[in-house]
Amino acid sequence: MFSLALHSIRKRPGRFAATLLAAFLGATIIMTFNSMHDTAGAAGVDKVSSESLSTAAAVVGGYGSLLVFFAIASTLTVNVRQRESEMDLLRSAGATPAQLKRMVVVEAAVVALLGAALAIVPAMLAGNALLDLFKDSGQVKDSVDHSFGPIALSSGIDITLLAAVGAAFLAVRRATKAHDKKPQRTRLRTISGYAALGLGVAMCLTTFAMGKDAGPEAMAPPAYGAIMLSVGFAVFSPRLLAAIVGKSGDLSLTAANLRHRTAQLSGVLMPLILFVGITTATLYMQAVENDHIKQSGIAKTIDDKQLETLNFVVVGIIAAFACVMLINTLYATTTYRGQEFGQQRLAGATPGQVLRTVGLESLILAATGIFFGTIAAIAGIVPFALARTDSMPEQGPGIWLAVAGTAVAATLVTSVATAHRRLRTPAVEAVALAA
Amino acid sequence: MFGRKGNKAGRQHPAGGEALRLVKVTKSYGEADSAVTALDGVTLSLPAGTFTAVMGPSGSGKSTLLQCAAGLDRPDNGIVMVDGTEMTGGTEAELTKFRRGRIGFVFQQYNLLPTLNVLQNTVLPLKLAGRRVNRAHAREVLQRVGLGDRVSHRPDQLSGGQRQRVAIARALVTEPSVVFADEPTGALDTRSAREVLRLLQEAVRVHGRTVVMVTHDPVAASYADSVLFLADGRLAGRMDRPTADAVAERMAHLGDEYATDTTTPAYATPAGV
Repeated sequence: MFSLALHSIRKRPGRFAATLLAAFLGATIIMTFNSMHDTAGAAGVDKVSSESLSTAAAVVGGYGSLLVFFAIASTLTVNVRQRESEMDLLRSAGATPAQLKRMVVVEAAVVALLGAALAIVPAMLAGNALLDLFKDSGQVKDSVDHSFGPIALSSGIDITLLAAVGAAFLAVRRATKAHDKKPQRTRLRTISGYAALGLGVAMCLTTFAMGKDAGPEAMAPPAYGAIMLSVGFAVFSPRLLAAIVGKSGDLSLTAANLRHRTAQLSGVLMPLILFVGITTATLYMQAVENDHIKQSGIAKTIDDKQLETLNFVVVGIIAAFACVMLINTLYATTTYRGQEFGQQRLAGATPGQVLRTVGLESLILAATGIFFGTIAAIAGIVPFALARTDSMPEQGPGIWLAVAGTAVAATLVTSVATAHRRLRTPAVEAVALAA
Repeated sequence: MFGRKGNKAGRQHPAGGEALRLVKVTKSYGEADSAVTALDGVTLSLPAGTFTAVMGPSGSGKSTLLQCAAGLDRPDNGIVMVDGTEMTGGTEAELTKFRRGRIGFVFQQYNLLPTLNVLQNTVLPLKLAGRRVNRAHAREVLQRVGLGDRVSHRPDQLSGGQRQRVAIARALVTEPSVVFADEPTGALDTRSAREVLRLLQEAVRVHGRTVVMVTHDPVAASYADSVLFLADGRLAGRMDRPTADAVAERMAHLGDEYATDTTTPAYATPAGV
């Protein structure tokens, strides 16, 4: 199985591209931030600089690892699902489930190691740039030199490898047990969905408990609250969307697809809602904070600056990951629908009609994602603004428009472009491919 | 929508009109050196209101014939005419529009859309063509194929035979000039196969449709009014009022004597010689 795994990577590098990209991005981010630990630990670094660096490394390194895991898991789940027929073939040729598991895990490990190796040089450069950022804002003394040491290297490789192997294990287990475990998994999802929503509401409400005139630290609970709400909404939104479309009595193909493809839709809505929710929440909270500081007429402290830097870095990372996940999932699910497109064409749909159906579906998806993401974000922004400034937030819709526009563009362009590519296969062949 | 050009002859064809005509249709696949000729100058004419089976060994070009005749593939040369209108190969959209007014399909793998229920699948071609959806008519057609009580089921809740009957209803609901069936019984058990073939027969005899069926099964072919034999991309004979045994007999010898005899042979020998 080991040689089969290597063989399949060598012969079909294309389908590992998404996993490699996720591993590469993840390893780069982890290494970049963990190199701050190395830098802080170097000889001759003063205490303030060292603390600034360690905080940044700890905060971003922590949930950065979580994001890496999610991103790699999403790409691998898609990868395994796309290869269902290959797996069936191997199974009928005598491969045991354990052997299949080993094959997928080894593939993932090899790709993750490759991604981590490729990430080393970019992470060195990015670490340098990040240190300069801290220096410019005065959080770190100019005399501190960047060092890329054992912590950065080992954590980058270890976390990426661990995330890949774990994600591969889960993905292949889900694929082999998909049929008999369904009800339980749905229940588990529902429970964790309610838990995320409850936790999110609680965290947003906590902000009020911090009292009026709270400091910038009041940003943390509503920010995590918004993330939690996004996760919760992501669990329930596909079903909600299906129910709304079902009630509408619309008998079109678009409506039927949205109603019956709940599982695939949740894979798309998850990154979409997370992207909109987290990006909108963080950017608006930072805007509220900035305006508040400006109005009170005091200069930004080092802490303020560090908060801002961190926030922007966080948003950047999350946006990048969510986009990779979104595009990957959309690409995969749309590619997977080649047979269905062929059936539509054989039933008399022109290529234009197929593309319009896909476009309409992705517009509805994007609108749903933006709607729930925005609610999650507002639930975080408003408590923060009230706690910090005693008034409702007064920022304009500019940031929201940019975020929503990005979400719509990514969703629409990916699915329509992928569908367009799939339509190049003649309908009769497209139908026969997976039949 | 109904008065589209080329369709004005109406949708009922009195016997005698021509539903499908192929003139010197050729089609080959692959590049110059390694090109494989799938169709080698096939000329044929099928009157409206007939049930024709197309038979031949694998690789004889019968699937290519069906795809070229049905506008799913473009022939390299030659003319395809459906219901008196020439099919001109343009964009896929143009071919699709040509097809959906004139041609119905039944495939071996049913090709029903999994997210739509039986009634929605049946009326899909009408909706895609922007034609008025007459639900009463669609239900009547479903009733006819014996699925009147299954209209809200989805394909995965039906047996193979039932799915194929939905596909037949879908092919008939647009009242096409020609229905093409590609191995329609290939994935079915004997009983379901028989029902499907009876339905195709009924579509021709009772409702005046024209059916062209590609098959490799002599029993299936025996339901047709006549059988066209194909070998190496050429027509290799024709048999009217076929029986399963006679078709099997002819198929067994098709390899060595094709293109020599176009009359019905004496069929005394049982199948499987």
